[in-house]
Amino acid sequence: MAEYKGLDGNEEDIDPYFGIAKLDEQLKGIPEKKIVLISASPSVGNEVFGYQIIHKNITSGVKVLVFLNRTSPQSYLTDMKDYDFPANDNLFILDAYSGITGIKSDETDHIKVINNPYDIEEVKSKVIGALGNGYGLIVIDSFSLLADFFNFPFVLSFIDEIKNAVVSHNSAAVLLFTDWGYEKENVDKLLSKVNSTIEVKGIEKRVIFGQYFAVLKCDWVKEANALSSVLFKAIKPGGIKVYFPKILVTGPTDAGKSSFIHSASKDAVSVDKLGGTIALDHGSVDFKGYRADLFGTPGQERFDPLLKMLGEEAIGVFLIVDSTKPEQFPRAVEMLRKTETYGLPVVVIANKADLKGALKGEEIRERLHLDSAITLIQTVAENLSTVDPNQPTKLKSEGINEALSALFKQLT
Amino acid sequence: MEAIQTGFKSFDELTGGLEYRKVYSLFGDKESGKEQFLYKLVQSALSAKIAIVYTLTSKSYSELISEFNSRGININPYLGNSFKILDDFSRTNSPSATNNSYAKILNGPLDLTGLSVSLSTVNGDFIKDAKPVINIFDNLSNLLMYNNPVTVYRFLQFICGKAKLAGVTTLFSVDTVMHTPDVIETIKNLSDAIIDLKLDNGKRYFKISGISKEVLQFKELE
Repeated sequence: MAEYKGLDGNEEDIDPYFGIAKLDEQLKGIPEKKIVLISASPSVGNEVFGYQIIHKNITSGVKVLVFLNRTSPQSYLTDMKDYDFPANDNLFILDAYSGITGIKSDETDHIKVINNPYDIEEVKSKVIGALGNGYGLIVIDSFSLLADFFNFPFVLSFIDEIKNAVVSHNSAAVLLFTDWGYEKENVDKLLSKVNSTIEVKGIEKRVIFGQYFAVLKCDWVKEANALSSVLFKAIKPGGIKVYFPKILVTGPTDAGKSSFIHSASKDAVSVDKLGGTIALDHGSVDFKGYRADLFGTPGQERFDPLLKMLGEEAIGVFLIVDSTKPEQFPRAVEMLRKTETYGLPVVVIANKADLKGALKGEEIRERLHLDSAITLIQTVAENLSTVDPNQPTKLKSEGINEALSALFKQLT
Repeated sequence: MEAIQTGFKSFDELTGGLEYRKVYSLFGDKESGKEQFLYKLVQSALSAKIAIVYTLTSKSYSELISEFNSRGININPYLGNSFKILDDFSRTNSPSATNNSYAKILNGPLDLTGLSVSLSTVNGDFIKDAKPVINIFDNLSNLLMYNNPVTVYRFLQFICGKAKLAGVTTLFSVDTVMHTPDVIETIKNLSDAIIDLKLDNGKRYFKISGISKEVLQFKELE
């Protein structure tokens, strides 16, 4: 039984799952007997969605069959591994590629071969026959290539057969499809036959400057139309991450902004002098299937002219305050105003909560005049005796994780 | 912007060179000198600070590099900087081959999505770097051998459209004798300009149509 722990940490026992943040939260996985089409623009591709769905399920004990006509099983497994999605005993491949190139792959317990991938009957009977072998999920990579090899009437009738098999064996299917600009009528028919369609596209002018996925249709979720488009990045290793391009980290001098960014991200950089940030901090955070770019501001007032610029385009804010310095609280609120982020989703981080003289959470709320809907998280430093004076102090991960969860939940 | 010089004096003087944003197809049989044309173009374009995405369908990236070296073309300083290879061949023999800093190893001729995604990524990287770009396909014949021609046309239409939008020049090399006349005709229709090469009596000749300075009678390529 697959388990998915979202930002709430909730575990639910529906399987199979996508293993992709936001998709699982909104669609609650792929129920039995359902067919999902992942339709991608040719300049973005959808293979990583396939790798990630497969990996999530095989590591949760779901037996997965991949019908593969796009490349050889060895190449496929190498690419999955590149994204840090290694295969295990639950993964089975039906190889419809090697027969085309003439370089035959050897059958193993986990790799079965379609001898003549140009033979419609062999393809059909091997796929449908295999579905009786207890697979929880079948992934077809690629379904558009089947349409290219044969024709649309074939793939449309093939979907019906897959659906019958999936329904009678309590399995589910994911079809990876590249939309090369096929006839609209054919594509519409295809979409009408599946239970859910997820579109993967690029935001592009001369170059692609963003990628997003969107649930176009899903017949097992009420209000599926309310699902919005989600920006993502495909990261190697790591796979698909829901992406927040800009989150601001602001607060008074020496409250711990750099500490927060460095503790939350693996690759943070600071432009600083004598320990104080004088230009900006930046770090990328990977957390529970999400990726966010954090931008820190300097705290000193002499850099205030920069604040508006740094706050532009931010979609959420971490406001860091020093729990022992209530006299700085008005400055903290002023910084929200100066970065022009007042009103955006915000999580307040009361740092140094363990130090002598630290105010309690409730007192901080009161002094900052925080609305009850705003989350306040207390953070403390790791063991101070091991602090490197040239590096920002690390904060304990519990507080950091709590803060990230709280803001990301507001942003999704 | 000035046109791209091919490094062949007669070609550049008569035609002015290859224009940006255009799609060229390069036809010729085995001995017509298509590779010689491509390699010299690569050398000339790289020294003019133009970036190249070189897609291989019938040899590996290491074979390509040794061919450059054996012709005295010093490709090494450009590798990974302004010369990137999309290798759609190596995995036919070694399925576990993976990328390095200058060569992306693709999944073979059937994975046109993979090729399209890589092209758009590498083009994007070069364009963001403010470099003019040429996409060279050496060659189209192998893609046509493994795929249904209609599939390849759809693919070409898509990537040529993207290339034009991005200001990128495209050049396909096609082995004339490997295809039926209707396939050749369709590729010609997809191209803005057609370059024909031939070998005759120990000398190489070219003609070109579809540009403002056409050369409709074969001229010596030197």
